[in-house]
Amino acid sequence: MSAPPMNKPNAASSNATAAAAALGASAIAFAATVGAMFLLLARVVRRLVPPRIDARETLANLYKMGVKSLPIVVITALFTGAIMVIQAATIVKRYGAEGLLGWGAGFGTLREIAPLLTALMISGRVGANNTAELGTMVVTEQFDALRVLAIDPIEFLIAPRFVGIISTLFMVTLFADALALFGAAYTGNALLGVSTTTFYNGLTSGLLNFGDVATGLIKSVVFGLVIAVSSCHFGIVTKGGAPGVGRAVNASVMTSAGGVFLLDYITSFALGG
Amino acid sequence: MKNVYSTKFVNATESSLAALGAAAIDLAAGARELYSVFVRTLYYVFRGRREPGALSRQMYEIGNRSLLFLSVTMGFLGMILVYQAGLQASRIVPDFTMLGATYLELLVRDFAASLGALMLATRVGAGIAAEIGSMVVTEQIDALYMCAADPIDFLIKPRFLASLAMTTSLIVWSGTVAFLAGAATAWFAFGVPFATFFNPQLVDAGDIAVGLAKCLAYGAAIPIVSGYCGLSTFGGSAGVGLATTRAVVNSSLAIIVLNFFISGAGFLLFPA
Repeated sequence: MSAPPMNKPNAASSNATAAAAALGASAIAFAATVGAMFLLLARVVRRLVPPRIDARETLANLYKMGVKSLPIVVITALFTGAIMVIQAATIVKRYGAEGLLGWGAGFGTLREIAPLLTALMISGRVGANNTAELGTMVVTEQFDALRVLAIDPIEFLIAPRFVGIISTLFMVTLFADALALFGAAYTGNALLGVSTTTFYNGLTSGLLNFGDVATGLIKSVVFGLVIAVSSCHFGIVTKGGAPGVGRAVNASVMTSAGGVFLLDYITSFALGG
Repeated sequence: MKNVYSTKFVNATESSLAALGAAAIDLAAGARELYSVFVRTLYYVFRGRREPGALSRQMYEIGNRSLLFLSVTMGFLGMILVYQAGLQASRIVPDFTMLGATYLELLVRDFAASLGALMLATRVGAGIAAEIGSMVVTEQIDALYMCAADPIDFLIKPRFLASLAMTTSLIVWSGTVAFLAGAATAWFAFGVPFATFFNPQLVDAGDIAVGLAKCLAYGAAIPIVSGYCGLSTFGGSAGVGLATTRAVVNSSLAIIVLNFFISGAGFLLFPA
């Protein structure tokens, strides 16, 4: 591979070999990343049954990830609800079925858009921050310092973050569902003249049930798992000093977003109607 | 004794009010800075120096290198949206003839642009902020000022122009991917034939205008917001991570807020 091509006729074949080698290398790197993520997940699960995680660190993470994310969640949810009503409005107007506005906007919001957009925002805020923090700890050798002190970094740093991200996303999605419907109701009132009572009746008249809310909440737990695994993994494997932290954050955010969409697809089909 | 408590209460009120005011002042200052970056970028688009090759390099970085990521995520999104829409429709009328037409309309007017731009904000926004942020902490921005080159002209302008062009093309492309993936899902899950699904009768000029306006607005917002977050990096290498986070969050928020205003304006301007 390192030897230059000896003569011209070989150049084409060595190009093809190099391309195949690059393809194989990226396939191996992909498999290694996925494998490392599963190993990390297994290690964290072993620390959680029976629970052996640092309580103070868990509480600190819950505060930092959950409470501090509330402003962006509130803005995202209110605007999302409003946008869903505007999108549903055209269809509702076409059929003149104003009573169905609540159902039309609520179905998509509860099952799909609220969990998805909340997960993307939390991935941007909490996941990226988490990778940056862990990555900085790794490149400044704080992980090695923990090991020297006989403190298990997974027990002390990773498991609390897992618990923090997953429970944050679950609670915040519940909150976002409610706020999105609130925003949707008032946008429907202002833009279409559909009274909020009609909107709430459309939500509760039997076309929507607890299963729709539960689908969204199950998705939020799955998304939380994806964000936790990818942000912790890319934080731990950070290499190459400060620029490496930037690269790790980028890789983590992209993997979270891709993974969220992939698992959204799988859970949508698995949970069905 | 009572006096002490009341002083404490007054102090607590005062400090919480002060915190609220400080947050409001920070927000206003940030908005003004952001506006100034935007205006200066627009100024340099017409009056700036041209660096040969910078624009095409950024177009490659923003456009070509996001192609795979965007195609995969939007492909999955197309499948999910059609599946959910089919479930929703089947609860009222078991009739899927308008599924494709409604889906295409929603895709053109909103979902292709907004969700594609959220994905781009993640990839492109994080990249821009990390790059410019590490230039700030290694004092390369100060070096640019020393050479009498405004970083807005030199760094943000090419990214702004590249993002305008590439966001639009990527969204048109990924919308197509999402529609084809949706068509496959409709056929596979609900047995809708392709000929029924490929139905453009609901898409009118208003939908296309709103969709294109969104592409341009998001394409402008992502580099401006992330470039501003990168330029305002402070605090060494840890600050770069923070700037990246802020870039992703703020560009996503900008997209959601812009979506609300453009959708609302579109609804009022082009009534169905």
